[in-house]
Amino acid sequence: MRSAVMDEKKAAILQEIPRLRRYARALLRDRDSADDLVQDSLERALVRMDNWRTGESPRRWLFTIMHHLFIDQMRKVSRRGEASILPLDASEALATPATQAESVASREIVDALQQISPDRRAALVMVAIEGFSYAEAATMLGVPAGTLMSRIARGREELRGLLDDQARRRAIRIVEK
Amino acid sequence: MNARSFTDRDIHLALDGELPEDERAAYQMWLEANPDMKAKSLRYAADNAALRNLFVGVLEEPVPSRLEAAVNGDGPKRKEAAQWWRMAAAATLLIAGGLAGYLAGANGIGFGSDDDDRMAELAIAAHQTFAADKNRPVEVDGSDQAYLTGWLSKRTGLTLVAPDLTKNGFELLGGRLVPANGTTAALMLYADAEGNRISVYVTTEGTERSKGTYTLASGGPEAVYWQDKGYGCAIVGTLPPEQMGVVAKDAYKQLLAGAGLT
Repeated sequence: MRSAVMDEKKAAILQEIPRLRRYARALLRDRDSADDLVQDSLERALVRMDNWRTGESPRRWLFTIMHHLFIDQMRKVSRRGEASILPLDASEALATPATQAESVASREIVDALQQISPDRRAALVMVAIEGFSYAEAATMLGVPAGTLMSRIARGREELRGLLDDQARRRAIRIVEK
Repeated sequence: MNARSFTDRDIHLALDGELPEDERAAYQMWLEANPDMKAKSLRYAADNAALRNLFVGVLEEPVPSRLEAAVNGDGPKRKEAAQWWRMAAAATLLIAGGLAGYLAGANGIGFGSDDDDRMAELAIAAHQTFAADKNRPVEVDGSDQAYLTGWLSKRTGLTLVAPDLTKNGFELLGGRLVPANGTTAALMLYADAEGNRISVYVTTEGTERSKGTYTLASGGPEAVYWQDKGYGCAIVGTLPPEQMGVVAKDAYKQLLAGAGLT
């Protein structure tokens, strides 16, 4: 009954899509790019179905696949100096119509999140947004626990610094008005 | 654990639910006694809450049909135009291999992903078998490189060099022959001062141009691989991703140059 097993596995994967989309959105911000990343991860997962042990939630397996695709691409991009193909630019993101009214505060924090390094961003998002434990996140990111810990600590510090800078700039703009 | 002193690292542990239960009371007292740390902890907690709130709506959004179709296998496969990371890869191939390579890659004939996986899996298996062997990881040691590469080249049918990875902190231990997918592959092992080992796996296997990274779903070492028609190589190890990328690329460039392929 290979196909019955297959159907069960596919159903389990389908259930994870909302979580995968959220992770991708936090990593990439732009909705279409994020969904492209999800789609590629799903396609890769399907051809590697045998790597997923039945009886286990596919969540960590899928997150691992997605993370590899993400980091791979970030590496290619930085190697070729084409960060412009990524929607990292705040002004570009502002031009994208938001599905919900994005408050100034949440826009600022999304901007800040996109500015921290991909490795730190991934670690922080996995733990702070996705709620994985350090041990789970370290496994999925393929780094030792100590590395994960310092990425989280540095990521949070970096985020705080960026938010403080934005707040200062906003204060200056208000004064200038 | 009575006299443990806390640092700002513990703020992260506490925030992420990683602080052991029996340390929490002492941690709270430490926070109360250190207003700076308490302020920091409140600030991080607020930022964390803001982060979590950012994307709650995503879980409620209807799943785009193309994603469901991708799982059910009835969707349009690999819509290149939308896949920016594939475009970047294809563009690199274009530079490396001319238009034919580009078209073959971008038309999405499958990107040879099964072949990639197979090669990466073999390279990881070889790494796990031999790099883990403390006493006898290699058949021929690296002291006579000309002999080593001559032997490996002859047996694999490739023009092989042993990449010099000393500037990445890795010294050549030596090499051995390992089975490939129906042929013979060369495995060269390297170690750094801390005893971390990486391996360079080279084979004549390879069908289409592709590259990527691969890790078994069960975890373990990462393979960074490149392949082309009649050539494949994978660098395998358990290093932080950035370092892995740098070392792998360096090794690959030297292999290509040594084979006269650049």
